[in-house]
Amino acid sequence: MLIFRKPIAGVERPQMPADVVIVGGGPAGLACALRLSQLIDQHNAAHADSQFSKENIYVLEKAREIGQHCLSGALLDPRSLRELLPGFEKEAPLDAEVTKEAVYFLTEKSKFKLPITPPPLRDHGNYVISLNRLVKWLGGKVEETGITIFTGFAGAELLFDGDRVTGVQTDDKGVDKEGRQKSNFEPGYDLNAKITILAEGPRGSLTKQLIAKFDLAKDRNPQTYGVGVKELWEVPSGRVAPGEVIYTMGWPLTTKEYGGAWIYGGKDNIVSLGFVTGLDYPDPRLDPQRVLQEFKQHPLVAGLLEGGKMIRYGAKSMPYGGWWAIPPVAGNGWMILGDSAGFLNSARLKGIHLAIKSGMLAAETAFEGLKKDDSSAAVLGQYQKKVESSWIKAELWKVRNLHQGFEQGMYAGLVHTGLQMITGGRGLRNRYPARAGHEHMRKLAELPADGGPEAHLLGPAKGDGKLTFDKLTDLYHSGTKHEEDQPAHLVIHDTNLCNTRCVKEFGSPCQNFCPANVYEMVDDATQPNGKRISLNPSNCVHCKTCDIADPYQIITWVPPEGGGGPNYDGM
Amino acid sequence: MGAAHISVAPSFILTSLLCAPQRHRVRSEVLKILVCMKQVPQKDAPLKLNETAAWIREDVSYEVNEPDAYALEEALRQKEKHTGEVVVITAGPARAQQVLREALAKGADRAIHLDDNAFVALDAFNTAKAFAAAIKDEKFDLIFTGLQSDDYGYAQTGVILAELLGWPHATIIMQIEKNDAGIRVKRELEAGFFQFVDMPLPAVLTIQSGINKLRYATLIGIKQAKNKPLRKVSLAEVQSAIGENLQKIERLYVPQKTKKTEHIEGSPSEIAKKLVDKLRNELRVL
Amino acid sequence: MPDTILVVVEQREGKINRVSWETITAGQAIAAATGWTLEAAVVGTSAASIAAEVAAKKLAKVYAVESPKLEPYTPDAFASALKQLLTAQPPKLVLMPHTYQVRDFVPKLATAMGGTVISDCIGFKHENGKLVFTRQMFQGKFAADVSFNRDAPWFATFQNGAFRADKAEAGAGAAPVETVKVEIADGVVRNKPQEVFKEAKQAVDLTQAEIIVSVGRGIKEQKNIEIAKQLAEALGGDLAASRPICDSGWLPMDRQIGSSGQTVAPKLYLALGISGAIQHIVGMKGSRTIIAVNKDSEAPIFEIADYAIVGNLFDIVPPLIEEVKKVKAGS
Repeated sequence: MLIFRKPIAGVERPQMPADVVIVGGGPAGLACALRLSQLIDQHNAAHADSQFSKENIYVLEKAREIGQHCLSGALLDPRSLRELLPGFEKEAPLDAEVTKEAVYFLTEKSKFKLPITPPPLRDHGNYVISLNRLVKWLGGKVEETGITIFTGFAGAELLFDGDRVTGVQTDDKGVDKEGRQKSNFEPGYDLNAKITILAEGPRGSLTKQLIAKFDLAKDRNPQTYGVGVKELWEVPSGRVAPGEVIYTMGWPLTTKEYGGAWIYGGKDNIVSLGFVTGLDYPDPRLDPQRVLQEFKQHPLVAGLLEGGKMIRYGAKSMPYGGWWAIPPVAGNGWMILGDSAGFLNSARLKGIHLAIKSGMLAAETAFEGLKKDDSSAAVLGQYQKKVESSWIKAELWKVRNLHQGFEQGMYAGLVHTGLQMITGGRGLRNRYPARAGHEHMRKLAELPADGGPEAHLLGPAKGDGKLTFDKLTDLYHSGTKHEEDQPAHLVIHDTNLCNTRCVKEFGSPCQNFCPANVYEMVDDATQPNGKRISLNPSNCVHCKTCDIADPYQIITWVPPEGGGGPNYDGM
Repeated sequence: MGAAHISVAPSFILTSLLCAPQRHRVRSEVLKILVCMKQVPQKDAPLKLNETAAWIREDVSYEVNEPDAYALEEALRQKEKHTGEVVVITAGPARAQQVLREALAKGADRAIHLDDNAFVALDAFNTAKAFAAAIKDEKFDLIFTGLQSDDYGYAQTGVILAELLGWPHATIIMQIEKNDAGIRVKRELEAGFFQFVDMPLPAVLTIQSGINKLRYATLIGIKQAKNKPLRKVSLAEVQSAIGENLQKIERLYVPQKTKKTEHIEGSPSEIAKKLVDKLRNELRVL
Repeated sequence: MPDTILVVVEQREGKINRVSWETITAGQAIAAATGWTLEAAVVGTSAASIAAEVAAKKLAKVYAVESPKLEPYTPDAFASALKQLLTAQPPKLVLMPHTYQVRDFVPKLATAMGGTVISDCIGFKHENGKLVFTRQMFQGKFAADVSFNRDAPWFATFQNGAFRADKAEAGAGAAPVETVKVEIADGVVRNKPQEVFKEAKQAVDLTQAEIIVSVGRGIKEQKNIEIAKQLAEALGGDLAASRPICDSGWLPMDRQIGSSGQTVAPKLYLALGISGAIQHIVGMKGSRTIIAVNKDSEAPIFEIADYAIVGNLFDIVPPLIEEVKKVKAGS
């Protein structure tokens, strides 16, 4: 019997008042905290009589350490970090400045380099970074300024009072697999906050709660996502230069799937590579981790990795929906930042700089809210306006229809993209509609039994142990660890559906789209199809793919006990 | 006769108090406990050798040495039972402070940080000497360490510290009960055997892992920890107490295992016979 | 006068602790490499009879160190007694097995003598006249060669199984036994140990098991674990499992081997129906001998197995149990 995580009922919860609670210690959340701190310092320096305290400003981070759950390619556009911390290049841990880019279109055995690098992918002036390291460094700065970061604590539930968000409830600790309190049980706190800021990254669980509760998605395109599966490699000296950037499109994907790969040269002979697969592919048997393994076998990549060693693995989803999928980002007592809101430029494949900028703008609004002691939608709505009049909108406006253009396949997508580029993002109409990714998934009955041209993307990778790896071996290198004795945090609302309909209709795609082997169908003679859904929750790398891609939308990812998760050192 | 008895009694008591061994404390309900903690590389972290191959590269994630977390938990439970003070100490660079902060957040009262990168390279003997020097002005009833560290695995620092301080000690302790004469501890032995030992205070105990469920730090605990005293001790302050290491790691390397897999074939009964033959004569496990 | 190596033998309930023979083997090996003289010491009551047993091995002399204060074992008494012996007969190197008891007193003894212990060694090297001791660090991820940085006395303890007890060479004749009486003053012993007792452990500590029979998915159903249990019992070992078995509740969590369970390095690890996923391998690859039974000839477990049996474990295990029982009954 699977017992799913939910807040323990009937316990008295410790109450803690807060001025601002920021859920999520990633680039958006930390930039927000840092900017808020700067504003408070500035104010306090000029107003000896009305001092603001940082005592009641908190960042909640579910990882055991700042940065541990942060994963990205990554390339940093320094624009917003320069605004936040002028001169940051001197101290921040940056791997290398981008020196050259190349974009390839791949077929199974050959490659075609695009003669001109498309403007969005031109990265001169940007930096190859490890997001994990950058966030660690930012976290240090936040702590130095006196803002408390609670690591190992997740935001489990939003607290509401009517149409107001009044704070966050943290995770219950010390609950066993059956949902009972262990001897070291600690109930989650009710953090009663004037302002609650959600910076949970893509497909945030509290953000999902908020959007559902206030029907925030009603006039918007549904958010669409891709999942990035990444490996960090140590390669022989000279293979890839620090600052070298390669993008690929095409193989191993077919025209039916959206996605592509990156290869970035870091320092110390470290190469970051990964494949992003749009979570709107038609064949439920597709396995994004397998896609990465197929990609590595292409001569271009295999040659780069030859003799190297894979040192880390991870996966994370990312929001592709663009401007039209961003919900309202402020309301009574709440604001949403970064990937949680969907501030990601899918053409440039960059979101960190937008996350940071959104954090800064939210901080400015939050400070106004604190000064006026008013965190109603009227005041916090300023954040929405700031975003709309900032370079965040300017940048995202130009690519507002990009991903939607690809919903009919690659060729159509390229045509639309071309049109959009010469019309400032408009293309054929101002707002292209979109369908949620999972709605693209076809039933097995409609697909060729052998997979057809997509066959090489379907099902688990076997791995040769040197260049390619099976999922479990890759997973081991994510360093993921959780308290084993706790309820399952992948809340499946109807396990019967898994065992009866899904097995037949889609063939249990959870086994394929989860990059961490969390979902397994095990033999069970008592089930109508002889199979039963089984979970390995402690494998979870917190990528949220399941919450996004499940065709029946019956999976809700909630944070497991704080402190657990992957260890994305250097990622 | 009664009066004579009465008058003798006080002087008898006085005399026995004076004659009692130096270390017999006047009975006190309050326990002052020092917990020695170490920060070690995270258990599953991929480790790499540094250029000299005499140590690892330090750019990894760190965590508290797991046995020390159990030592801390035991100390906090004793404090809750008997009232008193729990002080935590560690020797290591700035990053090691995290271990102390977590301990304070869980309920320790004070922390001492021997803050210098040089402490990482000290052997158990010098580490014990540094600790002894740092606490020379304190009066602890008990000193706990974890039974060994996850990185070195020597299991020596606690025992050496006891010898330096001249205190009794016991190792691999599962249970501690305070009584009037001192403490009664339960020692774990090999092969499922245990033993109770009565000991006077003050004493050093190395604590077995897994004896209790570790408590979680709470939000309030973390906030309060910021205001708890954390005394920094520089290398210079204890320099005179420590000396050159008594042992030296010449080199670290990845253990090479030359494995030849031998296939055992045949029918099941043949396989059984061949295998048992190996178990008996080659591997000597039967 | 050549330097001496002194092996301090451990006794349990009047009998020699088997692991001490391994230390004798180690001592003989080091003596052969360095040309030093090998001696042994037995500490405690009934030291004399045990010393006679030890004297049958190839060494120069055995000391029987006696004092009524040595029973029961306390670190104060042992450290005091050995300090007296080592001061009277200073060896270059003192060797002991890395038992719980030795861990309890040898760091104290070494410190009292101004020396140091390299503990839990798995081997030694003698290169260019320098003696270094090899030990595992970082939970077996690395091996370290450690040397003494200061003059004698040197102390080293060896891990269980690092040397073979049956390889301790017998001497041509019995070595001389010298009784050494030590004085342990009143007040030296501060601990008062009570009777040793056995107790069903609440948690299974597989790290102490010498033989482990471990089951994986290949066992198919919970009821089949019974045959693995029988095999473990027949061999005198412990039952363990890979994670899926414990996750399903077929065996308790404390029997789990692997990155989310225990890390073990027993003398013998028998893997039944275990594929060898890396999460499991990291928990047992330090085992001295690994025997794997699996239907799949390509199972990764075979890459680290010393003995590979490709076949159906349900066919192989029952006759194996019978054969083991037969051999054990016969001996």
